[in-house]
Amino acid sequence: MTRVCQWLIAATVFGSPALSPGPSFAQGGSSLTAVDTKSATPRPTPRTSDGHPDLSGYWKGTRDTVPGGNIGKDLPGFKLPLTPAGEAALHHNLTATIDPESLCIIGGIPRHNASGLPFEVLQGARKIAFLYWYSYYRLIPVDASRKHSDDPDPSFFGEEIGRWEGDSLVIDSIGFKEEKVWIDENANPHSDALHVVERWTRPDADHIHVETLIEDPKFYTRPFTYARTWIAGQPDEEVHEYACSENNVDRDHLGFGPGPIRPDGTRGYIDPAPLPPPIPKGSPPK
Amino acid sequence: MKVRLALWAIVGTLAAGTPLVAHHSFAAEFDAKQAIRITGALTEIEWTNPHSYFHLSVKNDNATVEEWICEGGSPGALSRRGFKRGNIKIGDTLIVDGYRAKDGSRLMDARRVTLPDGRIVSGGSADDGGPQ
Repeated sequence: MTRVCQWLIAATVFGSPALSPGPSFAQGGSSLTAVDTKSATPRPTPRTSDGHPDLSGYWKGTRDTVPGGNIGKDLPGFKLPLTPAGEAALHHNLTATIDPESLCIIGGIPRHNASGLPFEVLQGARKIAFLYWYSYYRLIPVDASRKHSDDPDPSFFGEEIGRWEGDSLVIDSIGFKEEKVWIDENANPHSDALHVVERWTRPDADHIHVETLIEDPKFYTRPFTYARTWIAGQPDEEVHEYACSENNVDRDHLGFGPGPIRPDGTRGYIDPAPLPPPIPKGSPPK
Repeated sequence: MKVRLALWAIVGTLAAGTPLVAHHSFAAEFDAKQAIRITGALTEIEWTNPHSYFHLSVKNDNATVEEWICEGGSPGALSRRGFKRGNIKIGDTLIVDGYRAKDGSRLMDARRVTLPDGRIVSGGSADDGGPQ
């Protein structure tokens, strides 16, 4: 990045003492999200030698996914159908738990599907790997004859089994943990009765899409869905090492819950105080 | 080294509608009503995940010295914004604008950093729900 570009970004972000809404970071190839400029002229879906769509690639979310980090994104008013037990679990998460992800605990599924972070997929004939930031991964067997275990050991990603249905990779998962899990960034809960069915497709070369069915009869009165599309990253982009527990100073300073949730369904303050006016350009600190 | 520590008026608009990326929610750690600026000398640099930390020795108006810790984004996030580890060294002066930790400790969010060469970079965690 050139010095000029750096100044342009800085000027965009800090050019006014007033804080402005909307994205503020560079949206180029090195950012965490991508702008969808490739839908107008779709390129064909790549396929593996066995004829299935090849989901392999480095995938980035878009700013069109709103509200980010909210598993109720596709529900009216973002209102999740919580049971009384689910309401109690949400209250517990908000008032007595620190975000597990901020303690370097695996987010799991479906939370990773609602994350703003890019991810990478490596597809083989019998297994498919999802590689996430924080150096987490899930490795899913693709075998239509495989059945779930009678009593799988609870885990954050659950016991996952993949199969192809036409051009859709279906991942069926049970066997989740109930403790130290938030289903999304907003502290919504899930129980150990969670059942997730993901249907992954690659409609063209530059997009990957998931339709997620979330069932949890202990905490939710009915199943609900979460859908999302990601865009292919640049050819040289890939997941890098990110050792979450290397120096997690935060853990001693974090409060319970995610903090306030805005009316638009995202976490954060509505009325932050403005920062001091920026230092005039090119004035080194003294 | 002149120390500036100021609380600013509670006015502003929100940054919203952005995908969430950060390791933790801004609001779980920082108080968005306590925007401050500190200027100090770098005494320690932690270029680590999940966050970077810049330790500053800050001289107060009453000539006492306070040690502050400024929490920045991950090394990868800072690098993408053009803020490289090699841009700073122990003894350099930084100006950091951000928000104090809710627990009252001398920890702050390094939302905006003025580097020794005068460049201004976004130092905080991207899309943590904090002011952008």
